[in-house]
Amino acid sequence: MKQTKAIQIRELDKNFGEVKALKSVSLKIEKGQIFGLLGANGAGKTTLIRLLIGSTKPSSGHLTVIGFDPTKQKRAIRKLIGYMPQSPALYEDLTPRENIHFFCHAHRIENISQRVDDVIAFVGLSERAHDPVYKFSGGMKQRVSLACALVHQPKMLLLDEPTSGIDPKLREAFWEHFRELASRGVTIIFSTHQMNEAMYCDRLAVLHQGVLLANDTPRQLLWNNRSRIKIWRGKQVTEKVVINYPEQLPGELQSYGLDSTISRIEIEEDTLETVVLRMINEQEVQYLKEAKDD
Amino acid sequence: MTNMIKRIGIVAGRVMNQLRRDHRFVGISLVFPLIILYFIKVVFDVLASPFFNISVYVVPYAAFIIHFVTFILTAIVLVRERTAGTLARMFVSGYNQIEIVSGYLSAYTVLATVQSLLVLIELNWIFELGYNIGQLGSIYLIMWVLAIVSMAIGMLVSNFARNEGQVFPFIPLVLLSVILSGIILPIERLPEWVQALSFLTPLYYVNEVLQKLIGGSGLFDDWPKLIGLLAYGLVIVSIATLSLRESD
Repeated sequence: MKQTKAIQIRELDKNFGEVKALKSVSLKIEKGQIFGLLGANGAGKTTLIRLLIGSTKPSSGHLTVIGFDPTKQKRAIRKLIGYMPQSPALYEDLTPRENIHFFCHAHRIENISQRVDDVIAFVGLSERAHDPVYKFSGGMKQRVSLACALVHQPKMLLLDEPTSGIDPKLREAFWEHFRELASRGVTIIFSTHQMNEAMYCDRLAVLHQGVLLANDTPRQLLWNNRSRIKIWRGKQVTEKVVINYPEQLPGELQSYGLDSTISRIEIEEDTLETVVLRMINEQEVQYLKEAKDD
Repeated sequence: MTNMIKRIGIVAGRVMNQLRRDHRFVGISLVFPLIILYFIKVVFDVLASPFFNISVYVVPYAAFIIHFVTFILTAIVLVRERTAGTLARMFVSGYNQIEIVSGYLSAYTVLATVQSLLVLIELNWIFELGYNIGQLGSIYLIMWVLAIVSMAIGMLVSNFARNEGQVFPFIPLVLLSVILSGIILPIERLPEWVQALSFLTPLYYVNEVLQKLIGGSGLFDDWPKLIGLLAYGLVIVSIATLSLRESD
């Protein structure tokens, strides 16, 4: 049977001493999906990515990456993935070309030089390809780091905050490229705390203090939350709050019949930021309640 | 196997490439031992006595300087790899412990070769030791092996440090090894339990072999100590390789 799940995670826990970095996280990620891990610093995004690449072992639970168990088969996984860590993780005395060459040499790539040239051109650094990395800005280092992750054309990309410090134009180009890779079946998992970027994902997991708060499409996350409907009859405004407005709106409007006095209808969706903040607040209220009960 | 050798070569090439551009690091590695050795000469000039055979002391001291500088610089470089995230990235990119440690050792061996040679030239020159080529060659070989063993110890220690600053608490251990090695005091005069600890420092084996060479014996005359040094090196390299952690 053809494997369609790129990643399967079941009841995953990760503890660092007393600190619970991930608490019973379960997720499935389809092949060719762009999957975002959204959360504040310390939410568990980086820990989850490090578990997926086999850099650390889970305290309990099960996970598979492209059909392999990262706790036992990390070498097999690493042949198939491209990883971009949060910090650029580059040799600053070396040039982008030398860095990319070094990190891709462990993989078997045909025509390496051409591939390195292509990937340097893609990240827009052809003219600086022979300069040492220590002369680069933070954003340029991020671009070199991304090039290192892309050069061997992996089946899965794991990117830890890939576009932080990158200008909007280049970010747009990155996303266009990620979309193209995804259309060719490459699974892309990236972490971010930027809400606008999260909207690019096919699916989004919201993490807070190691707990998975939501796992849905960005659009469904918005719809599942509150939208305000404002109906104007002349100067009189009626405001209603509905959940899942694409399904609830017809019912709401039916109650007005064909009211010719309605002059304007506005629908205000919550922003993703509001939705996520509300989820976090609700989670924290729950923690406080549980602590009180104990 | 061929792939592994190829990847060791790639790691060594990358380290050499970095060394070529890191003039400060290479400068410290090569010049500091020479400066320290010169100051030892100043001290020995003050203590000068016709009854005092300085070569018994200065040759092992020179070995200790190589040991100390090589150990500390290797440990710091490896910790820097860890804090920068490049070590983790190497692992994720498919390099393994053997390839990383062997690659580093291969590249730094080039540096150690030059370092040991410069130290020996200065040693022979400023102290006018008057050794023959055979003796000098043997002393050079011992210093060279010590430099490589010191690198492996540096790599091992780097596993226990989360940043460059955490390397420094290990310095007293290196200084302790001078006492345990017999360079300052004859080991026989130390308490028995302290004597037993001598086997834990490479300087013990180095000093034993060097003293024989200074006394006019051949390199292989005290072969058990020579084998001891090589075995010590092999064990340390193996432990450093096996314990090289990808992450904390």
